[in-house]
Amino acid sequence: MKSYFGRQVVHAKVNKVPENIVSSAAFIGNICQRCGQNVHGKLPKNHFYCRACLALGRVSTLDVLLSLPEPNNFDGNDILSWIGQLTQQQKVVSDELLETLSRQREHLVWAVTGAGKTEMLFPVIHQALTQKYRIAIVSPRVDVILELAPRLQQAFSETDKVVLHGEQTEAYRYTPLVLATTHQMLRFKSAFDLLIVDEVDSFPYAGDQMLAHAVKNARKINSAVIYLSATPTKALQQQVKRQLLTTSYLPLRFHQHLLPVLKTTIVGPWRKKLPVIFLRQIKQFSQTKRRFLIFVPQVSDLVGVYQNIKKNFPDMLGDHVFAGDPKRQEKVQNMRDQTIQYLVTTTILERGVTFPGIDVLILGADEKIFSENALVQISGRVGRNKDRPTGLVKAYVQHTNFKVIAAQRQIRQMNKRGQQLGGRV
Amino acid sequence: MSCHLCQNNSHNKLSLLETFNVIKKAKKKLCLTCELAFRVIIVGCLGCGRQQTNSQLCHDCYRWQQKGKKLLNHTALYQYNDAMRQFMKQYKFNGDYDLRVIFNRVFSQKINILNADIVVPIPVSEHTMLTRGFNQTTGLIEGIPYEQLLKVSANEKSHQSQFNRQIRMTRKQPFTMIEQVSLKGKEVLLVDDVYTTGNTLYHAADLLYECGAKNVKSISLSR
Repeated sequence: MKSYFGRQVVHAKVNKVPENIVSSAAFIGNICQRCGQNVHGKLPKNHFYCRACLALGRVSTLDVLLSLPEPNNFDGNDILSWIGQLTQQQKVVSDELLETLSRQREHLVWAVTGAGKTEMLFPVIHQALTQKYRIAIVSPRVDVILELAPRLQQAFSETDKVVLHGEQTEAYRYTPLVLATTHQMLRFKSAFDLLIVDEVDSFPYAGDQMLAHAVKNARKINSAVIYLSATPTKALQQQVKRQLLTTSYLPLRFHQHLLPVLKTTIVGPWRKKLPVIFLRQIKQFSQTKRRFLIFVPQVSDLVGVYQNIKKNFPDMLGDHVFAGDPKRQEKVQNMRDQTIQYLVTTTILERGVTFPGIDVLILGADEKIFSENALVQISGRVGRNKDRPTGLVKAYVQHTNFKVIAAQRQIRQMNKRGQQLGGRV
Repeated sequence: MSCHLCQNNSHNKLSLLETFNVIKKAKKKLCLTCELAFRVIIVGCLGCGRQQTNSQLCHDCYRWQQKGKKLLNHTALYQYNDAMRQFMKQYKFNGDYDLRVIFNRVFSQKINILNADIVVPIPVSEHTMLTRGFNQTTGLIEGIPYEQLLKVSANEKSHQSQFNRQIRMTRKQPFTMIEQVSLKGKEVLLVDDVYTTGNTLYHAADLLYECGAKNVKSISLSR
């Protein structure tokens, strides 16, 4: 019974429906009732199935969707075990979030990378838990969720929570707190009183109708939604302008220092031969024992760049990682544990990860894959530590183009606002 | 055009003659990386089609022979490797019926070459038909005339793929004939999606021989 609360479970028509459970049609007027899309695959005998949400298990005209309304069966005795202080600016945002919860509106937190977004959420999550609300924290990227999970475990150690994503092995349980990827929201229906979408501008959520439908469907009619982003998309910014969405703006990092500004260097064709300036920079890193990330545009560039650096600096330990890497989690963990000094990576590490005290080099920053927002996010990996609040972000480009300049401008603009709040370099 | 399996866009370069429609090539369903992941069986065992260095009878087929069965002379197109396992999972168990088109062409060609009198696909149970919605074998050979002579007996419920070899080998006859027909003097070709132990196909062949078939051969997509 419990596992049906606020869920949408696919169930074959032939099998018996358990007692007291509400079953509804899987398709109404050719529209899949789980994902709201109209993309069909044919089956024999005039049946069909939905191809849009196939990855979460097939919904076909042979199935029904089972669900039970969310009863909020929680005790509400949750304790915030986080001991820490919010800065003055964080406190302001946090209060606005509490207001969001009480007024049940949609709200965007536009805070620079490393502003301490997670910490600002703790009071509002705690408030919601004591009101016996059901809460979901979702993100399009699984890395973000996996990094959030232990931090929330620390902050709400008494609260029962479940982490849902595509490769999880843990079974679903009925819990007040749900951490999940946005795709998992397709499995919920009118379940959450508070829904927090982290990194709302990132792939694949931005511009995806199915995922927008999933989030909309998973929240209750009277519920609050909080979007978190450092680089909101044009669409979100427009909603803010039209006053459909309230905003909190936080242009300063938690340690009160300004963002490091992206510096560009023009180099030759680096795919043929790594530029001398680039290697000189790495030599400097190897002497000062500084840890760093190297971003490359394509997966095919990874091995070449990595081998080249290894040849030039054989005693420096490093690795390379990409999205489909079977040892991906392990390698990132190595970097976090400081067992390796550098990591050559694609854009997968552009957001949601924190390595203390690193520098960043971007090879081929002028290429298509590095968008303006991606460059801002990559720059945001630097200086996330109180002990080393600044750092070096260098972009090696063959031609400067508008996008790189726009990224620099965006960082400078945020710094300008940060300075007004008393940020220092 | 995007690959049916990995959805990546493959940039097929057209030759000059193709550009002007002088020659036409069949549209590829898979990108090169996905296509290379499937391994074609070149030389296989005479009895079951398993990939080997020579075409001698393998150990399993030798055992079938000892049991007094007439060998099926099975033909299999692809090895059952990781890529094939992944494909079958997506196609059968996740129920993505659109994937049937990927091997439809090669599979149909092979069946046409074997030139049997009657093509008989292995059936699925009624319960599977109502949950999965399709028979994976008839999907793969879409476009080829076949006769559904067999059906799964009412007491069969479970999928074979969840059992180990020992349980599968001791399984009793799972099929019955839909109606008693005479197959006297006919060459019959049994079609299945995957040949694992051969148990399913030999059971089906037994029934067809009882109906008087002259010779029963079999083919599967994978071995």
